[in-house]
Amino acid sequence: MRIIKLNNQIKKRFIFLLIIFVCFSASIFLISYSLKDQIAYFVEPTDLKNMDGIENKYLRVGGLVKTNSLKFLDGNWNFEVIDQNQNSVNVVFSKTLPNLVEENKGIIVEGKFVDNIFVAEIVLAKHDENYMPQSAIDKLKEEGKWRGN
Amino acid sequence: MFAITPNILSNFMNSLSRYIILLSVLLISVAIFLIIFIENDYYQGISFKIMFIHVPTAWLSLAIFLVMGISSIIGLIFKSPTAFIVSRSLSPIGLIMSIIVLVTGSIWGNLTWGAYWVWDARLTSMLILAFIYLGHILLLYSFEHFQKADFAASILAIIGLVNLPIVKFSVDWWTTLHQGSSVLRIGGPSMTNDYLITLFVSFFGIFMLTIFWFSNIFYIIVEKRKIERSILLND
Repeated sequence: MRIIKLNNQIKKRFIFLLIIFVCFSASIFLISYSLKDQIAYFVEPTDLKNMDGIENKYLRVGGLVKTNSLKFLDGNWNFEVIDQNQNSVNVVFSKTLPNLVEENKGIIVEGKFVDNIFVAEIVLAKHDENYMPQSAIDKLKEEGKWRGN
Repeated sequence: MFAITPNILSNFMNSLSRYIILLSVLLISVAIFLIIFIENDYYQGISFKIMFIHVPTAWLSLAIFLVMGISSIIGLIFKSPTAFIVSRSLSPIGLIMSIIVLVTGSIWGNLTWGAYWVWDARLTSMLILAFIYLGHILLLYSFEHFQKADFAASILAIIGLVNLPIVKFSVDWWTTLHQGSSVLRIGGPSMTNDYLITLFVSFFGIFMLTIFWFSNIFYIIVEKRKIERSILLND
């Protein structure tokens, strides 16, 4: 008799916690689902094609720096940000670039479109999750397996 | 959980703690040696070596919260004092781990990204985790009776469990400045074996340190309760 009573209490507490947990996780899910465009830190050049009124809107665009596009002209850095679908955005930046900005490496630019050219105010280098020593890369290059620059 | 009283667990951990701290010191010194002499990353140079502190502490801050949440559930359902003391002694460790993650992360971020802090999903959810740890500790010490404090703090820990998958998968669900997972990911680890070994040695060193630290806090809480009880009985 006592065991049945105890089990009932345990069951009650369990259901109480389950309700708290389910309600809270559902609310968090709904919030993050409805805010997913705000939570996303940057958009890719492909996404810009489907967006309206991007002129004069403060945006973050992310992608790779296109190969052979990084140039220093008239005191400004000029480069193109390209994504996997080969859509690109021309970017102008007037300050110092972070150390790790290189061609064919990740980048995030923050700023506005002015006459179809993206005038960046902040540039951040985005590195990926691959870590390798130079010696491993040399070995891969010898074997012809290296797919970078 | 019914049979394991706080006293038994405390004595058990105390009997092992000297070996645990020895192992921890050994592993951490090997890790420091490896971190110093390992080759730099081809792209990030020496700055990537902060990863060997950043990643283990990040894993631990998530794992500690998971254990805290589970022990809070067990504590609330089965009214187990041991489970409550486990989550009570874990939360300061978790707070310090998450602060280390945030500090090393912003140093690393400044060296590589060019910014100490950005409001992307991974960084923000990690900051929320640190705040939940802080809130848990504040709740634990804002009640006169520890039973009430345990109840309130456990509810917070269970609610905070929702944040764990968000921290872990934020880099997959949304676009972030933070890079994706390197080790626990689909397709296997994305780093060479010498880096992976260093990472795991460093992880187990810090993990053993965490266990040692946990057993000490657990012991202190148990002994303090004993003294309080004896004072109450003598009055």
